[in-house]
Amino acid sequence: MRLKKLISLVIGLGVLSSIAIIYFYIIQKDFTKQHREFLLSLNTFKSAHIDLEHQILQSSIYSYHNQDDMAKNIDSLESEYKALLESKILKDATYIEVKKELQGLQKGLEQHIRSTQNYLMLNASIKNSLVFLSRFIEEANFLQEQDSELFKSSWQILKSFNDAKLMQDIDHINHNNFLLSSNSKDKETQDFITNFNMHSNFLIKKYPPYIQTTKNILSDSTRDKLEEIKKEFSHLALDDFKALDIFASILFSVFIISLFFIIVLFLKYLRENKKLQETTTSLEYSLTHDQLTGLGSRAAFHIKLQETAKPHLLLANVDCFRCINDIYGNDVGNLVLQELSHIITAEFSSTKNASIYRLGGDEFGILFDDIKRNEAFEIAVQLEKKISNYNFLISELSLHLRVSIASNFIAPILENADLALKELKQDYTTRVLEYSEELNLKTNVEDNMNILEHIKLAVKNDNIIPYFQPIINLKTQKIEKYEALVRLRLADGTILEPFKFLEISKKSPYYHNITKSMIEKTLEMAKEFPQYRFSINFSMIDILDAKILEMLCETLRANPKVANRLDIELLESENLQNIEAVQDFISSIQKYGSKVLLDDFGTGYSNFSYFSNLNIDLIKIDGSIVREIENDKRKLHMLKSIHSFSNGMNMKNVAEFVENKEVADLLHEVGVEYAQGYYFGKPLERPLDSDEIIF
Amino acid sequence: MKKLFLLHFIIFNLCAIEPISPIPLDIEVDHAKANLGKKLFFDTLFSRDNSTSCFSCHDVYDGGADAKIVSIGVEDKKGNIQSPTVLNSRYNFRQFWNGRARDLGEQIHGPIHNPVEHDMDAKTIEARINEMVEYREMFSEVYGGASITYEQVMDAIVEFENALVTPNAKFDKFLRGELELDKDEKEGYVLFKKNGCITCHNGINIGGNSFQKMGTFMEYNEESDYPDRSKITTNPEHKNVFKVPTLRNISKTAPYFHDGSAKTLKEALGVMSKHNLGIILKEHEVEDMVAFLKTLDGEMPKILDIK
Repeated sequence: MRLKKLISLVIGLGVLSSIAIIYFYIIQKDFTKQHREFLLSLNTFKSAHIDLEHQILQSSIYSYHNQDDMAKNIDSLESEYKALLESKILKDATYIEVKKELQGLQKGLEQHIRSTQNYLMLNASIKNSLVFLSRFIEEANFLQEQDSELFKSSWQILKSFNDAKLMQDIDHINHNNFLLSSNSKDKETQDFITNFNMHSNFLIKKYPPYIQTTKNILSDSTRDKLEEIKKEFSHLALDDFKALDIFASILFSVFIISLFFIIVLFLKYLRENKKLQETTTSLEYSLTHDQLTGLGSRAAFHIKLQETAKPHLLLANVDCFRCINDIYGNDVGNLVLQELSHIITAEFSSTKNASIYRLGGDEFGILFDDIKRNEAFEIAVQLEKKISNYNFLISELSLHLRVSIASNFIAPILENADLALKELKQDYTTRVLEYSEELNLKTNVEDNMNILEHIKLAVKNDNIIPYFQPIINLKTQKIEKYEALVRLRLADGTILEPFKFLEISKKSPYYHNITKSMIEKTLEMAKEFPQYRFSINFSMIDILDAKILEMLCETLRANPKVANRLDIELLESENLQNIEAVQDFISSIQKYGSKVLLDDFGTGYSNFSYFSNLNIDLIKIDGSIVREIENDKRKLHMLKSIHSFSNGMNMKNVAEFVENKEVADLLHEVGVEYAQGYYFGKPLERPLDSDEIIF
Repeated sequence: MKKLFLLHFIIFNLCAIEPISPIPLDIEVDHAKANLGKKLFFDTLFSRDNSTSCFSCHDVYDGGADAKIVSIGVEDKKGNIQSPTVLNSRYNFRQFWNGRARDLGEQIHGPIHNPVEHDMDAKTIEARINEMVEYREMFSEVYGGASITYEQVMDAIVEFENALVTPNAKFDKFLRGELELDKDEKEGYVLFKKNGCITCHNGINIGGNSFQKMGTFMEYNEESDYPDRSKITTNPEHKNVFKVPTLRNISKTAPYFHDGSAKTLKEALGVMSKHNLGIILKEHEVEDMVAFLKTLDGEMPKILDIK
């Protein structure tokens, strides 16, 4: 949050100072430009003034000269003055005094121009008269001989006039003898005197205003005043320049402050960046390392696997690690895993091409690059031995562990090793197994997936069908009932037997459908063949499933006529846990006239204790006994015992797997009531119409 | 003798550069505007009663002025001063006899509004000229815009006047060293300088660059009441002060002076030398000076040749 504020502050400062800089730049540029323009204009005006004076000087020196330039000079003097007054900078209130003073120059300027024009007028006539007089006297040669005094006087008077003009001093003609006079009666002389005096009088009259005008022009104070104005302007401008300087200093300070903040931000950024990098490093470490043992993690394993050219994996799993956790607690479990990881690490510390990972809770992987398979197997065997001999001393406990180790180099490395490990767990006698395709571990999985697909399709297309195997009454030698056996019909018409799909279907959502289909279809068949009884197989878990149970009871209730011919064979392959529930089931169906058979008696979990609690009608003697009574006296004895026990408990027997006449005869001899098997008939799509046995 | 020599030296050596300059052969003129102005110059629509054009008093084909003593304006009203030539007027430092206009752009409004000359106003001119399709087309071509303004009209006429220059006078060619003057002409020019005429008549227009009093040496016609410089400056000393007139094409602009009192050049020379120089010219001097003055006639302005 503080960082955000700081960034906002820096951005704000930056924007502010940028605006200020632009503003400053414009102001400064404008001011400097106007300042320069004003001074330039002032100088131009001044030089126009000087130029005019120069022209006046020329016209006073030359008897005549081209006045065009002077006319232009007067014009430009006026226009420059106007331009000066209109200078942009004078619009600023600061320079109002300067403007006023400049305006004050106007009268003097006008007077100056008037004086100049007056001067020109006077100067022209005076010059003309002077030139005339000199020529006039020069041409009066006669006078030099006739009246040299007069001639001399005329020259002196002319000289006085010329001097007065040159000196611009009226004193040179401040006497009374500027007129000629003579008593001579000579007409030519008198004419000369008249003409001379006419011009002399004219000059005497014009000299005072002429010299005055010249003085006026020369004493014009415009330029002095201009200098003063310039000084004052510069003084005022200095203040403005100072203000600009202060502004620039402020801007510079803001810039320095911004810079400082940027440096602070940068340092902060560096620090944050370092933190971030540390976090990233630790995250990366924890991603690739197991926290508990410090070994490589599963992710690290996968990375390493990709880099490995010839990978070979030993996958070790602690047998029943859960037991340790359950008994001693997770803390001990964790310590065991740490200790175990130390053992494995120590074992392979000097093996260059091996790396060790913790791939699961109690699963360790040792990945080799380029190792002979028998060598790897030998290593695995050694490792297993070492671990099983190791005495884990944890919290004053002495524990012994066993591990299973799968060895594999066939891709996919981890998956195959896993399969091998699972296989290992089935068999406690083997501790180390190398995966190979011949183990056929993978295909099962594929088959399962295939079968699941078939089940799905069969349920959908109503291809779950019952096959019916006849059950013979050995006394009458007639078919008395049929056992419904589940089959799955594939799309190509192939019929799958239950061992191929039933186990898998139990773990799928289609199992209900299969059971339902069997009940419905057997019921239909029972309706069609009223001369037979029918039996359906139910596993213990079916009974415990309320949904199946309800469906079965509903069917029986709805078909009371068929129900008393529909029997249930309880598949007794799993341990019966809830005896009461089973008895409830038996009681509920026996109400409808159904009979209950106990399937596969004599193997697996079935035992006599059932009969004290369960109200069973018939016992099916398992094929493993029946098949061998002919050759195995022990089995025959077992059969006889079961039969006599059944009779004693008021239960009848069905013998399975009767495959020949000898067994059938022996069963009859013993007194077993019912039998089924290939000898009497294979399972068929439909029961036979006749109850005669076709051998 | 030494003094005499010095005097000569002063007069003729200080002026080694002639104080008269020739009219440049190339002048800058906007010909489109000038041609438009030319048409306007001859058009009488610029007078209240459609009687008077600029040309009425400024015959640009013959000296650029009026042969009458005073010009005749609207309703045959008489002016109060002799019409000055419009030729080469761009080189005058001020316009009008008393210099009340700074330049031609300022001058033009004078006669247009003068009740005895054109007696017009801006609105009437705009109204009249905008009625004429021909002008509307010509103006839109030169100035653009839908309607013609008074300012555009004045601008066009001024541009025409700017084009009214008469270069290549014999004297100009002499100044450029292209030819020699005849003996009498040369004598006349020397007298023109010696007598001091040149003191006022100098520069490109041989005059027209300063004010001077008519009768500076000897008062001239004191009782007259012409619009002289004193009418502008209210200075009584400026009585009879006028802008020095140009001497270019002087042989064609009779009668002379502001009052048109001199019918011939000889007469004018006599008056000027007496009143402004205090000199009585000899007959042969007058003849030489007239010969010189005739060398100041220039070529007709080129713009007049363009139809």
